[in-house]
Amino acid sequence: MIRLRYARAATALVALSLGAAACSSNSSSSSSSSGSIAASNTAPAPKVSGTLNGSGSTFQASFDQAVIEGFKKDQPGVAVTYSGGGSGKGKTDLQGGVDQFAGTDSLVKDADKSKYTNGLLYWPIVAAPITMSYNLSGVDKLILDAPTIAGIFQEQIKTWNDPAIGALNPGIKLPNTKITPVHRSDASGTNNNFSNYLKKAAPDAFTLTAGDTTNWPADEVAGNGNPGVASGIKQTSGAIGYVDFSDAKASGLVFASIKNKSGAVVAPSLDGTSAALSTATLSPDLTYSPLNADGATAYPIATPTWIITAQKYSDANTLAALKAFLTYIYGPGQGLASGVDFAKLPDSFVQQAKAQLIVLSAA
Amino acid sequence: MTISVAGPLDQGSLRAGVARRRVLRNTLATSFVWLAVAVALVPMLIVIVYVLRKGGGVISAGFLTNDLPIQARSHQGGIGPAIVGTILVTGFASLLAIPVGVLAAVYLSEYGSQSRLAGVIRFLSDVMAGVPSIVMGLFVFTIWVLRFKARSGVAGSLALACLMLPIVIRSAENILRLVPRDLREASYALGARRSRTILMVVLPAALPGIVSGSLLAVARAAGETAPLLFTLGITYAKNFKPTGENTALSAQIFSNASSSFPAAQTRAWGAALTLIVLVVALSVVARFVASRFTVR
Amino acid sequence: MSAEVPEVIERRALTAPQRAIGDFVFRYLTVGSGLVVLVVLALIAIATTGQALPLFHHNLHQFLFSKVWNPQAARPQFGALGFVFGTVVSSAIALMLAVPVSVGIALFLAEFAPLRLRRPVTFLVDLLAAVPSVVFGLWGVLVLAPWIRHIYARLAGWAHPVPGLRVLLSAGQGGGGSGRSFFTAGIILALMITPIVTALTREIYDTTPSGQKEAALALGATRWEMVRGTIFPHSRAGFVGAALLGLGRALGETIAAALVIGSSVQVTGRLFSSGDSMAAVIANQFGEATDTFRAALIGLGVLLFIITILVNLIARAILGRTEVL
Repeated sequence: MIRLRYARAATALVALSLGAAACSSNSSSSSSSSGSIAASNTAPAPKVSGTLNGSGSTFQASFDQAVIEGFKKDQPGVAVTYSGGGSGKGKTDLQGGVDQFAGTDSLVKDADKSKYTNGLLYWPIVAAPITMSYNLSGVDKLILDAPTIAGIFQEQIKTWNDPAIGALNPGIKLPNTKITPVHRSDASGTNNNFSNYLKKAAPDAFTLTAGDTTNWPADEVAGNGNPGVASGIKQTSGAIGYVDFSDAKASGLVFASIKNKSGAVVAPSLDGTSAALSTATLSPDLTYSPLNADGATAYPIATPTWIITAQKYSDANTLAALKAFLTYIYGPGQGLASGVDFAKLPDSFVQQAKAQLIVLSAA
Repeated sequence: MTISVAGPLDQGSLRAGVARRRVLRNTLATSFVWLAVAVALVPMLIVIVYVLRKGGGVISAGFLTNDLPIQARSHQGGIGPAIVGTILVTGFASLLAIPVGVLAAVYLSEYGSQSRLAGVIRFLSDVMAGVPSIVMGLFVFTIWVLRFKARSGVAGSLALACLMLPIVIRSAENILRLVPRDLREASYALGARRSRTILMVVLPAALPGIVSGSLLAVARAAGETAPLLFTLGITYAKNFKPTGENTALSAQIFSNASSSFPAAQTRAWGAALTLIVLVVALSVVARFVASRFTVR
Repeated sequence: MSAEVPEVIERRALTAPQRAIGDFVFRYLTVGSGLVVLVVLALIAIATTGQALPLFHHNLHQFLFSKVWNPQAARPQFGALGFVFGTVVSSAIALMLAVPVSVGIALFLAEFAPLRLRRPVTFLVDLLAAVPSVVFGLWGVLVLAPWIRHIYARLAGWAHPVPGLRVLLSAGQGGGGSGRSFFTAGIILALMITPIVTALTREIYDTTPSGQKEAALALGATRWEMVRGTIFPHSRAGFVGAALLGLGRALGETIAAALVIGSSVQVTGRLFSSGDSMAAVIANQFGEATDTFRAALIGLGVLLFIITILVNLIARAILGRTEVL
């Protein structure tokens, strides 16, 4: 029985590595279109079994859920769960061996990398825009830029009819309502990317700390999670806050278009995010930053997110299951992204990621 | 209210005045007591009505038994695994905390009223009552989950048991102390030993109070989310085993109610209603059983 | 008589060893259970202090005496004072609201209620205990806060002319605020600790010797005088134990407080403004924290430990009777 299980796992490994090798050799010659890449995959991978437990970023949770559901039909023998809880929790759980994979919106600090005794690999999966959602009756179109946003959240710009906002929105009648900024009460990757965007795009205007937590002024409204910020915005007339695309849409919020580095005014959308990603360079370890992208159609506040794994796995079943899972993400998984309001990766990213699959090996 | 001091005191009006003041105080006290009941119960009823309104519509046999949908936004599926998880995890935690807690309370009240060790234990269980629930979860994460490299129902139970223990101990001890001394003395006079007295006389007399305290502990454990965040994980299918990741109603309420998707929100409030009904049903049954066995 | 004594002693001598073993075992079983508390608490103290150690290398003085909490700055700052303030204030408000109400309900159930109302009200108190803490938190942030901020605004308007109250009953910029505040957190916590204090106090009141109560009534006391004269003195120590248990719950409540307290750490006299508490900030920021940040959050847990010890010591000192508590 045991020999049979190892034989199956070994066959799966061989098939996957052959498939990965075939894919990477094919992609260098074909002109990218995800359809042709999927077609050039080898025959469906043999069935594997195992358990993959993951936790981490809640930002990517709905994409992970869609992928887990789709993957279950492909490989019913693999039980995958993803329990959220925050990027920091995911990193700690992966370090401790409690998880087989983790989700994170922020990178591991260099000083911490030694704690990952079995190695550390980044796997970019999707990206999504962060919207500037607001609640102002009578105003359904609004244009903002980084210095203005910084001024609003630092309570230097206090009312909607401030000249700074008026300058960006000629022709729109802005009322004299007090602005109530809404920020995150919990530490989060969304806050990390939003504050880092302000730091990058308006370094003179933005004086607060950028990171998972920011020292926002004390009497603003704080919401728990993206949905908490969304409900905080909806409850207060004149409120504005940063909410991820999926939650802003689900809550029925109106969002502002942002003037990016090149001066183009771009509304938050999946296309705008893809445009931002295509201007970003992917490092050899597959990290990148699409913040403050420039281009005629690039939306400047796009959040990247990764799955992180170890490099070596001692259990053969786990290794095979993980490879199958990641392969699925870079195959049919990318097609699922837009259905859950995430932007899929550019093809070049997908190719580089698939090339990294071979690095996953037995301990 | 004046008392005329010129001349001899008028006994009649003095007595009448004092009597009126006493009646007034009694009336005030009675109204305060009724008011207190209203002040506590009105918000509670408002909350219950809110939960009923938001979650009542979704309850059905399918909702209570089906597996969790993998995607939070999906309208399908139910909370079966969460119900299983809550019963399993809270049940096991109760099995750990209640016997240990009651025995410790027995020690504190029967054997330890003068001993210094008892004083220290009593003091420390008060301190333990103040440990934040999330710190309990982190503690179990460090000593159990990291050790065994896996989240599980057992880990969740351990965290909840730590939370329940001080409540059981302090409430049971309070009640045991107040069992009248005559009962104990009568038992000794009849020749019974200490352990027999405690088991056959004192504990039965204190049973309603002990049950009350234990129910409070169980209700707290069933409703807590923070200790489970790091110890339980999640499962989409029902997990009847103590090992392997599991989920609970409280965890599902928290993660779904904070979501923007209407389907997740209704599921959260349906789960909240289910949890309240479960705990109340347990209370009713437990109090009924206790009233049968009590000796007053 | 002298003939019977040897018989009695002989009979006793025969049965004594067997019973004594049972007694012995039982006694040490109870001691063992008591020691479990000691062991678990010691483990918690050691594990959490161990994880908080990096904080001591960082800056313990700042932790204890600074209000500034800025974990992501280039030079991170971890000042716990604002959180200590929030915990103390919200728990104090909770106790001040819950204790009179609980005493009232307990008295109602023990003495003042018509017999047929006793079961239903007991059931309703059980119902209050059965509501999960997360539901209270959610109701607080979705329903209570948006509604009560209008009341706060009105109160702030009334209190404006009064110099002391003007600061106390106001929010950040002098108005009513968002509703998420120290006071709202105090209300939600009070709702949560009422069942504990009520149930325990009620049990204690029920054990007042009926002989004493009847004697008081026979002497012509009104109901309230009977309560004040017999029930209250008899229950004082037990009642303080119940209140301490409720306070412990308020200090340690995590999720509900995190949702309604406003999560903006500050030390201020304005009760209607947003604040933060130790348990709430641990819950909110732990998910993203690593190394020193994490150690600081766990350090907050240790600090809460120490505060709980101090509060319990003070309560005992006030009562003056350490062995009865």
